[in-house]
Amino acid sequence: MATATDTTDTSPDERVPGETGMWFFVLFESLIFTSYFCVYLYFRTQDEGAFLEAQSALRLPLGIVDTIVLLTSSWAIARSVQEARAGRPAAARRLAFVTIGLGAAFSALKLVEWAHLIGDGHTFTSSDFMQHYFFLTGMHAVHLLIGLVALGILVHQLADPHRRSQETIETCATYWHTVDLYWVLIFAVLYIVR
Amino acid sequence: MATTSTETTTSTSSRLRTFVAWLLLVAVTVIYLGIDHSADDGGTLVASTAVTVSAVLLALVKVRIIMRELMDVRHAPPFLRRLTDLLVAVIGVSLLATYFVGQAIA
Repeated sequence: MATATDTTDTSPDERVPGETGMWFFVLFESLIFTSYFCVYLYFRTQDEGAFLEAQSALRLPLGIVDTIVLLTSSWAIARSVQEARAGRPAAARRLAFVTIGLGAAFSALKLVEWAHLIGDGHTFTSSDFMQHYFFLTGMHAVHLLIGLVALGILVHQLADPHRRSQETIETCATYWHTVDLYWVLIFAVLYIVR
Repeated sequence: MATTSTETTTSTSSRLRTFVAWLLLVAVTVIYLGIDHSADDGGTLVASTAVTVSAVLLALVKVRIIMRELMDVRHAPPFLRRLTDLLVAVIGVSLLATYFVGQAIA
């Protein structure tokens, strides 16, 4: 019976993208971020008026552009992995560079947003909302910087057939997607939730 | 020759599928603009349970698309597919439960 179930559930083509350890990291970190989102949402419900007032300082169109830039970087790295799998490292490398460029563009946009907010007098200590905002976007920025290092490793791997490992390439890509995934949640809870 | 043709078709179909996933993600992101305007009262932000629930649900849809299509979980073994679906459910339940419990306490 168990064998019959296994046969219908699993196909020989199925495999974990990248290293399994990275997936445990992704799941663990996602739970950490979720816990923090819960803390934020709880405090928000306790003082909705103050949170809404501070939240109005955020520029939603800039947040939308940030999100689209990061989503596009995720598309580019997914395509890069597909090209690497298909044995086209040059195309994979080009797409990895596009991803790095988009990651850098996201960082620049974030710096612009932080500069605007700080210029308008919104800092880490100016309100509870801003404390959560700067903490979450700051934590995300740290993850993004680590992601850029991972992309550097990916580009390095793609440059030379002797050191190329599809598993390492997929592991680095998985990490980058995770950076995108966290942003999708951060964007929803900080910019949209009312 | 036949193998090459099949590989090319697979490659094109994967490329198209990834592009459609990206397009969907962007479309859902743009929907947020409409949701946002529906909640604002003359430029002043107002509290809204409908907006909060929609924001969380749309984010979960995006997270699942990213995992399934871009992170390639759809080709992963069942345990990873189920684990990532469970994660999406846990995130959703945790966020919405905290929001509603917090509101009830407030």
